[in-house]
Amino acid sequence: MQLILNKVTAHRGSFKLFADNTFSRGLHLVCGAVGSGKSTLALIMAGLLAPDTGVVSCPSVSTSMLSLQFPEYHITGLTLADECRSWGVDTGKILAEEGFVARTTASPLRLSRGELKRLHLACLLANEYDMLLLDEPFSALDCQQKEILCNRIAARNHGITVIFTHEREILPRFERYWEIRNGRLGYLGADPDVLCSTITGGWTTGNRCACHE
Amino acid sequence: MIEITALSHKTLFIDHLTIGEGRTFLIGENGGGKTTLLRLLSGIEEPESGSVRIDGLLPRLIDTGWVNEYPDKSLLFSNVFDEIASPLRFQKVPCLVVLNRVNEIVEQLAIRHLLDRPVRELSGGERVLVAVAAALINRPELVLLDEYDSHLDNACCRQIDGAIAVAGSRYVIRSTQQMDTAATGDTVIVLHKGQVVASGSPHDVFCGLKGTPFYPRSWRESACS
Repeated sequence: MQLILNKVTAHRGSFKLFADNTFSRGLHLVCGAVGSGKSTLALIMAGLLAPDTGVVSCPSVSTSMLSLQFPEYHITGLTLADECRSWGVDTGKILAEEGFVARTTASPLRLSRGELKRLHLACLLANEYDMLLLDEPFSALDCQQKEILCNRIAARNHGITVIFTHEREILPRFERYWEIRNGRLGYLGADPDVLCSTITGGWTTGNRCACHE
Repeated sequence: MIEITALSHKTLFIDHLTIGEGRTFLIGENGGGKTTLLRLLSGIEEPESGSVRIDGLLPRLIDTGWVNEYPDKSLLFSNVFDEIASPLRFQKVPCLVVLNRVNEIVEQLAIRHLLDRPVRELSGGERVLVAVAAALINRPELVLLDEYDSHLDNACCRQIDGAIAVAGSRYVIRSTQQMDTAATGDTVIVLHKGQVVASGSPHDVFCGLKGTPFYPRSWRESACS
């Protein structure tokens, strides 16, 4: 199972992105400065945005999902129960686990941002996908929920998982680290412990780099 | 001084809370009431009961800069220059002054390269930077920032901190999930299920949170006494 970016390019005004890389099974972390093209790359990898040139192929990937940076964009239900049902998941279980039983008939738009993100991720992670792309999954979550999400992602032992993020404090133990620099996606290494001590670009020394120390 | 008395609004209940000048951080679980409190302080919402006063005045009478975590909700104009200039233009400030001030703020935030870009083409983080520029261009007395840092890297956050310092606002109140950042503030307020459960200096507040996920990571090597 692979996701292959074959000489993929995307242009928008002065913005340029080039990727010629292959993502295999496991947990990948993609970082890059603000505006470097992380969300654009996620859309291209998900097949939701056509590259200007190049080809994206996903041999053996039959199911995939992209979690967008802003969870509002995913809402299709008028109530929390409807929203869960729209994901085809066990509505009662999700609402109970996330503490929303008393708000089953509330609109998802009445939740705080963090609560909405939590509900969205709980529904998304209740399904299994060959390829899971998560654009800023930790944004809006509180510290406790970030750790819970970390463990859920780490427990996923199927297919390709790619996290696009600025998160600095709490991350699952990833297997491959990628960075977009100067408009080009580059592979920087596979050893998270080494990476944690060497990653620059704003990472604070001493931050924990995985859920399981 | 900001004073909140007998407040009841949506899920938020605060008997009495004072916030002094300086940098104040709101922290706590999702759904705890951080955004609701910021909206009340901004004057965007008025309390169902109780009062919020800033230097004795209603919040809507105070010059305020507001940054939503999801700036899509607050960006009004289609291009970056117009968006950043809008607070001054609404006040009918002369064009040359507006131009100079826009130039200053984009330099401080290192976003000059975005000036001619359509807002819809910006990334999530770039939209936050534009929203911060628009919030600070008027050098407001009160700056309210709602978890903007969850879409930015450290370099951008430092750039914004610098611009806020230059703006000279008397009150800077922001919610965050970055506890190491909150630990650098003058005051930290913890909200839990709509109530203030702790308020004080970072040392006093965070020492009470030892052993929880909210305890700053950089403090974990040195125990609170």
